[in-house]
Amino acid sequence: MSAMAQAPAATAGDTRGRGWRRYRSSTFYLFASPWLVGFLVLTLMPIGYALGVSFTNYDGASPLWRWVGFRNYVEIITSDPAAIQSMLRTLLFTGIVVPLSVAMGLALALMVNRRIRARGVVRAIFFLPSVVPVVATAIMFRLIFNRDAGLLNYILSFFSDAKITWLADPYAFYVLILMMLWGCGAGMIIILAALQDVPVELEEAAKIDGASSWRVIRSITIPLISPVLYFQVITGVIGTLQILVQPMLLAETSSIASSANVPQSTSLFMVEVYNEYFYNQRFGYGSAMLWVFFIFILTLTLVLQRLSKRFVFYQVESGTEE
Amino acid sequence: MTTTVNDQIRVPIAKDEPESAPPRKRRRSKASSAGEHGAPASFRLYVAIIIAATAFLIPFVWLLLAALATPAQFSQGAEGLLNLSPTLSNFYEAVTRIDYGKFALNSLLLATIMSTLTTATSATVGFAFARLRGKGQKTLFTILLATMMIPHIALLIPTYILFARMGLVGTYWPWVLWGLAGTPYLIFLFKQFFSAIPLELEDAAIIDGCGWWRIYVRIFLPLAKPVILTSFILSFVWAWADYLAPALLLSYDNTTLSVATASGYLDPRGNGLPTIQAAGALLYIMPVVVIFLFAQKQFMGSAVSSGVKG
Repeated sequence: MSAMAQAPAATAGDTRGRGWRRYRSSTFYLFASPWLVGFLVLTLMPIGYALGVSFTNYDGASPLWRWVGFRNYVEIITSDPAAIQSMLRTLLFTGIVVPLSVAMGLALALMVNRRIRARGVVRAIFFLPSVVPVVATAIMFRLIFNRDAGLLNYILSFFSDAKITWLADPYAFYVLILMMLWGCGAGMIIILAALQDVPVELEEAAKIDGASSWRVIRSITIPLISPVLYFQVITGVIGTLQILVQPMLLAETSSIASSANVPQSTSLFMVEVYNEYFYNQRFGYGSAMLWVFFIFILTLTLVLQRLSKRFVFYQVESGTEE
Repeated sequence: MTTTVNDQIRVPIAKDEPESAPPRKRRRSKASSAGEHGAPASFRLYVAIIIAATAFLIPFVWLLLAALATPAQFSQGAEGLLNLSPTLSNFYEAVTRIDYGKFALNSLLLATIMSTLTTATSATVGFAFARLRGKGQKTLFTILLATMMIPHIALLIPTYILFARMGLVGTYWPWVLWGLAGTPYLIFLFKQFFSAIPLELEDAAIIDGCGWWRIYVRIFLPLAKPVILTSFILSFVWAWADYLAPALLLSYDNTTLSVATASGYLDPRGNGLPTIQAAGALLYIMPVVVIFLFAQKQFMGSAVSSGVKG
């Protein structure tokens, strides 16, 4: 897409030439400098700083830190079962949330793409939750899953007398999943846009050939929008792996940014990292965990990219995206 | 001219709204013959939609019920909530228990600073990537796209430590810096928009001897009003909704409404006061919901252009 937009501009610049130059590198860099400087200072520097700190035993305050080499990394891998467990839990969590949320987004998009009454209202209902600030979402879910006054226990009370403490182990894990899925409307909107580009003729032709609507969706619609679905999986995985605020706010007694009372089942990797930093004051160790996390995400993204070649259908000319 | 530019960022979904009556009729007749997109929805579909919509609305309804209940009704459990005699006392408590006006102003100030700066910067950088040429530009653009993939929450903790060492914790400077640096996602949005504007427009200005800055400010920015609006709305809502950054970087005195709502309504033993929390949460999301209802198109349009590049 970018290449397409640039092409005419570049040729126009060439033909003019002769002493006067339309484009100067310095102009470009001047215009782009806010982002460039910001990228260096606010993105690269913190990452680099974390890398440096990860090789120390810095505690955030004491000037008496020293280099410890790879000891932090070795400790994570060999003698920190809590970290490994939370990593596995985070993987499981992501493995559940991302496919479900993309599938639900797809299902909702297919529903509201039909000619239905009050389409705008229905779309807004599905989309709105993804815009609600997380603090409010957490309060809503704490209310619904409240042990005594919650809606869910009320419904269940018709079937059994046992009250379930949803926000504690092991149930908190599932509540957190539901809370994430509630926001799947963002994906719906993106998929809905992609559906507009699916050629009607193709689907009609399949119908005439006797394909059921389920078959049309599976064999025509989904393959055609698979690049968009794939993009959602990637961003969904990256976003879900690093979840931190949701478990903290969902914990029953949440005071200011307290991660100490997050139930074990929702103590995802970033919660552990947060604990290492701010409760155990182990900045060095926490930074090492962060870097393990960065590398892990990078690897996962690359693996997904490889896999996508098999499952994602790209049209020969991607010019249709316009 | 302006209309073509507007169409460029308009959402494909939004298209069927402005189309007035005649085309819609035509589509209806076509749709009824072939069962496609526009096919009349079946009864089963409506049932599914109603069930799904109810499920999505339940959290809001329950929040509203809890906000209108007295603590006594709430402690009676769901039955108390379902037969409640509504009271507004929770809302009164929510705004008096904490220094509500101050926190709301803090949120407003922070979100305004952030969205103004980041919109200005993102537009400028987006313009650079769309209309200017420089060495290494392609690589930089790849980096820009890659930064959208960086786990931002994970990045925030080391950023916090750096800011703490620079003495910026407890001030609004981090938001000024973040704003000045622009937002990759919005830069991308602006770049897409500016790329679609025909060359002739700037050619005329160049012949007249205009510099790039004047071309940008006089010609391109005025055209970009819809994107500027989108960018401003989105970044405002993001900043308003943000919890982690203010929780980490601000002290309780100058923090935002999000942090105050999450942690301000506790009894002396540190347990949450659910009914007041519910009222506080309702007040807190009200601006977001209102903005959303008025600016749905902006929200949807931006979501779309973010997904399409996949």
